[in-house]
Amino acid sequence: MLQFAGFWMALATFLGIWWGHVGVRWLEAHSRNIWPAIVVLAVAGVGLNIAALLMPSIMPNVSADVLLTLSGVASIIGITLMWDALEMYRQQNRIKKGHAPANPANPRHAAYLAAGMGTTEDLLDREPQGYPINAPIPHHPAPHPTLTERQSVVAQREYAEVESA
Amino acid sequence: MMWEGLALGFFSFGIIGFGFYWVIRLERFGGYLWWPYPMALGILMIITTLFLPDAGWSALLGITGGSFIWGATELKEQAVRAELGWFPFNPDKKNPPGVNWIKRIKAPHL
Repeated sequence: MLQFAGFWMALATFLGIWWGHVGVRWLEAHSRNIWPAIVVLAVAGVGLNIAALLMPSIMPNVSADVLLTLSGVASIIGITLMWDALEMYRQQNRIKKGHAPANPANPRHAAYLAAGMGTTEDLLDREPQGYPINAPIPHHPAPHPTLTERQSVVAQREYAEVESA
Repeated sequence: MMWEGLALGFFSFGIIGFGFYWVIRLERFGGYLWWPYPMALGILMIITTLFLPDAGWSALLGITGGSFIWGATELKEQAVRAELGWFPFNPDKKNPPGVNWIKRIKAPHL
């Protein structure tokens, strides 16, 4: 008999983190006020943890492993939701700081943008390049001026000579 | 009453906190191309949980495995954060074994 308790816990942990990431970003971007969502997430999180605690440890016709699995999954998701409530607030700060893209259709975000805070650009939406973004490319010195640029410099000098003559 | 379930929730909280720590360190000193190693470790842990007789140990290992797989997908984004200057950038990273094969696979990111 395979033991599936660990598998369900792994799934709850992974999906909780993943959907938490996606869900908090979406909810923060689409809420005019973040506090109702924070209260709902916190209450749901505490409620799931109470449910996990109140799970009976013995039940007829149900194995103890199944009860532990149900209680564990409820608590993992519950604590994840409580963390998501905190992340709603942190996400708002990321928007203000420009570390996450602001949604101009959201009046709260539009106010940040109008006040000079934040950006609509998603700075994280890029591939790693191997060196800091505002630094020169390592081991590649600045290229020589191209032929056309040099020609134009010469042409400008000649033009200036003709003008002064 | 089931205190064990609540303990598993708090354990997952702690292991995710540890995830923040190791993702930042591994990216800084090794680079995001290490991603297949924590992912393989996480998958191995989850496979192992299927063969553990005790549901409690199986649960603890499963939570750790799930968190490691998530961390593996987070390394690439952490590399971008370091390049943006939001985290210290280390130019002398130690490449993982098999880096040339790893580069051919697109690093997972969710």
